[in-house]
Amino acid sequence: MGEVALSGLSKRYPGGGDLAVKEVTLTVADGEFMVLLGPSGCGKSSVLRMIAGLEPISAGTVAIDGRIINDVPAKDRDIAMVFQSYALYPHMDVYNNLAFGLRRRAVARDEIDRRVTAAAAKLGLTPYLKRKPHALSGGQRQRVALGRAIVREPKVFLFDEPLSNLDAALRVTTRNELIAQQREIGITTIYVTHDQVEAMTMGHRICIMDGGEVVQIGPPLAVYRDPVNTFVARFLGNPPMNLMRTAVDLEGAAPRLRLGNTMLPAAAWPADRLRALDGHALLGIRPEDLYEASPRPGDNRVLPLPATVTAVEPLGAETLLLLSLEGVGEDVIARSGRETRLRPGERATILLDSAAAHLFDATTTRAVARL
Amino acid sequence: MVSPPARFWLGHVRRSPLLLFVILYTAISGGPFLWVAVMSLRTTPEIFASPYALPSRIHWEKFAEAWTRSNYSTYFWNSTIVVVTAVALLTVIGAMVAHCLARYRFRGNRLVRFVILSGMILPPQLLILSLFQILLEFNLYNTLTGLILVYVAAHLAMTVYILEGFFAQIPQDLFDAARMDGYSDLEIFWKITLPIGAPALFTAVTLNFIILWNEFLYAVVLMTDDDKRTLPLGIMHFMGSHQLDVGMVATGLMIAIAPVILLYAFFSETMIRGMTAGAVR
Repeated sequence: MGEVALSGLSKRYPGGGDLAVKEVTLTVADGEFMVLLGPSGCGKSSVLRMIAGLEPISAGTVAIDGRIINDVPAKDRDIAMVFQSYALYPHMDVYNNLAFGLRRRAVARDEIDRRVTAAAAKLGLTPYLKRKPHALSGGQRQRVALGRAIVREPKVFLFDEPLSNLDAALRVTTRNELIAQQREIGITTIYVTHDQVEAMTMGHRICIMDGGEVVQIGPPLAVYRDPVNTFVARFLGNPPMNLMRTAVDLEGAAPRLRLGNTMLPAAAWPADRLRALDGHALLGIRPEDLYEASPRPGDNRVLPLPATVTAVEPLGAETLLLLSLEGVGEDVIARSGRETRLRPGERATILLDSAAAHLFDATTTRAVARL
Repeated sequence: MVSPPARFWLGHVRRSPLLLFVILYTAISGGPFLWVAVMSLRTTPEIFASPYALPSRIHWEKFAEAWTRSNYSTYFWNSTIVVVTAVALLTVIGAMVAHCLARYRFRGNRLVRFVILSGMILPPQLLILSLFQILLEFNLYNTLTGLILVYVAAHLAMTVYILEGFFAQIPQDLFDAARMDGYSDLEIFWKITLPIGAPALFTAVTLNFIILWNEFLYAVVLMTDDDKRTLPLGIMHFMGSHQLDVGMVATGLMIAIAPVILLYAFFSETMIRGMTAGAVR
């Protein structure tokens, strides 16, 4: 068992004015992989360190399996943590790095040997058990750090950006290894990252933080599809969601949104919410929902928008188009196929799938929920 | 184009000021030592006859004579007890203080550091009178324990200074990892700080050993009994008020500095590494 419950968790650093973490309330179920995602300085690492017991809690509670552990020292919390720097003990070989935490817990020598050998075999570290950390590659060090957490068999794993020091190729393999290990061991995991690809691929749920607050919690794809505000909309997704100012037209029979010279049907949003927008809103559309050719020919929700191509970025598997929409102030990015023939300076008609559009309150930046 | 031989000589010419400086420095610092080493193998009449000559016959027996004639074994033993104990205490206490100052942010942290390190500013001549009085009051005057305590107090600042700089560079994550692994602060000090800080510890041990082994001022003021004297005072045995046995003084000096030279020979590289650590990241 290892259910982690945070309730009103707050952190104020000495000498720092504002709260670094503001009343974070969150429950991570037993065996769940929760990713804390957010930009640098959003408070995600502070939350992790408070759970670990490495940072005093200013307000609120941390509970594991219903027991509040605010005053329990880090060493007695039965939590293992993998650090961004790996934090391997440089004067110990791999075997002793793995065994260090078990020795303190008075685990029998035979049992230590069994667990260390098993973890080393699982992580492919058996040939390196007698090596010191400085004689290991980045990936091997990362695995030792993971092994050190695994051998402890704790209630909760905490990961603080453990892949950020690896190169791109190794990051992908290690990410998949980590996912496989976590699914196999089934220990509750809280994983901090600012990398949205890690968040999307690894977690059962993601918790997006900004300015010390939780902005949205949910399964990765659900958050991607239904961002609660423009911050989440732009933070998840690469390239980020396009946001364009739009005028809300409530004059006709059905409400519409004006984008340049194009009118979009707005029947998908509740009329009373549209009225409350005070005539203006932000229309969000992901780059993959802008097309050169209609994905659903005949569907009147796919609308043409006249545009000029500003730049073309061929990425190999796909091509990104930077477009200047006529009558719309903001440039937008469209994700197109690699076979695109569009060139910078050309005029083109881009198709917008209004069924995939998002609407945000221009003042509060919060999303307007669809009907 | 400069031809290869010309380039060879040009390189030498360019380096010559540095070379000249190194030669001069070596001559100034190593010359007296060599001179004393040569004198330690000659008798006093030979030295007076020709001060700078090489030995015509090597008098190894002078070392045995110096050891037996002037209570040298006692001085050597006293020096060993005082210096080894003082260095051990300095290392343990200094490392603990340095660990605390480098690791923990507590109220008054900077004041404590300032007070401790200000000990380096005060010259020993300034402190010696008050130390003399304090030791008298606590019945520690003319005792090895008293001298050990004075040495520890006098050298703590420098020890903390050397160690704190090094300890502060040990990444905080290592300490956090050890805490997560279940270790207490004291255990982390023993199992993480000390082993990782070994180069700095060697530096502190070697420096303190060399300085304290040669220490004269505190020893001469605070020790009066002959059987409690340390080596630097033992050499005074060969100096009367009206005569000076130069040859035996030289032999005594060589015996006194032998352990220091051995220590430096073994640990000089580690010591230099410890002193320069962190200069280049």
